[in-house]
Amino acid sequence: MEKIDVTKNLNVLIIGMSGGLARITAEILVQKYPHWKITGVDSRPLATPLEHPQITFTQMLYTRGNFEKMFRPSEGSKGHDIVFHLGRMGVSQYQKRSYISQRLNLNVMGTGRILDLCQKYPVKKMIILSTYHVYGANPDNPVFIKEDAVLKGSIKYPELRDVVEMDQLCTNWMWKNKSSIETLVFRPCSIIGPQIKNAMVNYLLTPYAPLALDFNPMFQFIHEYDMANLLASSIEGLPTGIYNAAPPDVISINEAKKHLAIPTVPVALFILEQLAKLMNKTLWKIPGYFLDYLKYSCIIDTKQLSSSLPKFNFRFNSKEALEQLKMS
Amino acid sequence: MNEDKAPYTNFMDIKQWQLPPEELERIFEDLKASMPATDDPWGVNLDKMKQYFQFVWPIYKHYFKVELHGEDNVQNEHYLVVSNHSGQIAIDGMLITTAFATEMKPPRLLRAMVERFFIKLPFVNKWAQEGGAVLGDRQNCINLLENGHSILVFPEGVPGVAKNTSEFYHLQNFSNGFMRMALKAKVNILPVAVVGAEEYFPYVYQAKHLAKFFKVPALPLSLNYIPLPSPTDIYIGRPIILPTDISDDANDDVIAPLVDKVKNQIQEMINQGLTKRRVSPVNDYLGQVVTEIKNLWKK
Repeated sequence: MEKIDVTKNLNVLIIGMSGGLARITAEILVQKYPHWKITGVDSRPLATPLEHPQITFTQMLYTRGNFEKMFRPSEGSKGHDIVFHLGRMGVSQYQKRSYISQRLNLNVMGTGRILDLCQKYPVKKMIILSTYHVYGANPDNPVFIKEDAVLKGSIKYPELRDVVEMDQLCTNWMWKNKSSIETLVFRPCSIIGPQIKNAMVNYLLTPYAPLALDFNPMFQFIHEYDMANLLASSIEGLPTGIYNAAPPDVISINEAKKHLAIPTVPVALFILEQLAKLMNKTLWKIPGYFLDYLKYSCIIDTKQLSSSLPKFNFRFNSKEALEQLKMS
Repeated sequence: MNEDKAPYTNFMDIKQWQLPPEELERIFEDLKASMPATDDPWGVNLDKMKQYFQFVWPIYKHYFKVELHGEDNVQNEHYLVVSNHSGQIAIDGMLITTAFATEMKPPRLLRAMVERFFIKLPFVNKWAQEGGAVLGDRQNCINLLENGHSILVFPEGVPGVAKNTSEFYHLQNFSNGFMRMALKAKVNILPVAVVGAEEYFPYVYQAKHLAKFFKVPALPLSLNYIPLPSPTDIYIGRPIILPTDISDDANDDVIAPLVDKVKNQIQEMINQGLTKRRVSPVNDYLGQVVTEIKNLWKK
């Protein structure tokens, strides 16, 4: 397997460029490696234009043909050396069944096609963003879930099937191609920050969102900058593998809400579950599975990451990440 | 007229039953100093725990009149604390953790293992977590031990706590899991025997079929459903030093003798404790009533 020489002019493809995390990652890459060429793709438009001339953006439908065009080396272009797959469609709010099937198609089938293309037009490094939701929030979760734990995320909530299947697809592909392509699968804890719009950020920033009186699980929060920096730093440091990613501290959900100083409605869970069913169809936009994360802790073990990338330092711990979110 | 006040002037004044505030402060200052500066990943909350102790202490000291023996056997290291399980509703775990926190110098935070069933219960989950209890999962325990925490386990499990009257103070089967955890984490075992807790519910029949039907771990049919104030003794034995040449993956026939050694030591401590057992007037009276009823039934 050819090692990546970061001093050379490399081509980087970022899938899911319109997301906040992808954008920050691209900016960090530009600062670290100003001689690299970065191409971003997304089916959504960019929220604001990109400032760096090294980054180009293409808005395209996620179809096989469009991706083939993107990967195929053309005149004057030698193909991509590094691919960041940050384009998973998230479950950030209550969704209808038809939307869930669209998400399944895109996340699982689409990822499969991207992986095929990475093999066909060999890339040197593939970096994939999964999530800690693959482990699921279960009452029998140990504190510190390791990367080799069973993925139970979709057992109770079928709407998380795509999240688990995509992760398994990627990790299977990773081991199958480990001799030719260096692949990293990240399973970060809740990513929060001013540019992130996921279920956790929605919940944390929603005024008068219900807060369980009868449960108080612990959480890890990684700041968007730290996650982007980790993705960028992983190019040189990390070997093929699956890595949980979280800062070293934890905070309970009650404390997190107190930190943000956003008003909540304290309510017992059995009322909250019924309330969520009602509110999801009208005012409140929190996915159903998320309620289990407000009951049971899902704390991930990060020893694998810290031993493989010992020099990496998180700039923000969980409390500081919340502070940053509060200021945004 | 005598100006001196009697020690208990107002029976209903809860403060006289609670730990003196300066003592409580000292305990929690010491506990805070023994914990990392960041929040505990298992969710223990010392501020909340301090509040809970104000309610638990009167029950511990004045209702169950707990006496702790053998605290000198506890050295400055972390242990896997192994105890017999009794009392139908697992109050013994709360009493042991209270004893370790309040009657030891320096105070020790014991993490009691609880059944998955309790983790699912609203409020119970929150209170247990904030009070230091954790899920009784093997990986969870190993993580705690490897992070320098002492944990409390009941290897008898539910069969230990949910016994019929005829089985009181007879240890049930010990699972091998706790021994494998201790061997993996390379910690010594601290045996503990609780004497007096079986009499909280002195006459019990376990309706096992009904429990299965209702999908609950146990369903005791008892004469009383509020625990009687049976005086309770907690005996701490000498630590059991485990061999370093046995792997945690060893066969059951290698592990079983080690488990038996722990079980026998705890049974011996229970038997000795029973010879010095304190009897409450309530239990004594109830015992006489039941004996009278039995005699009448025979006639």
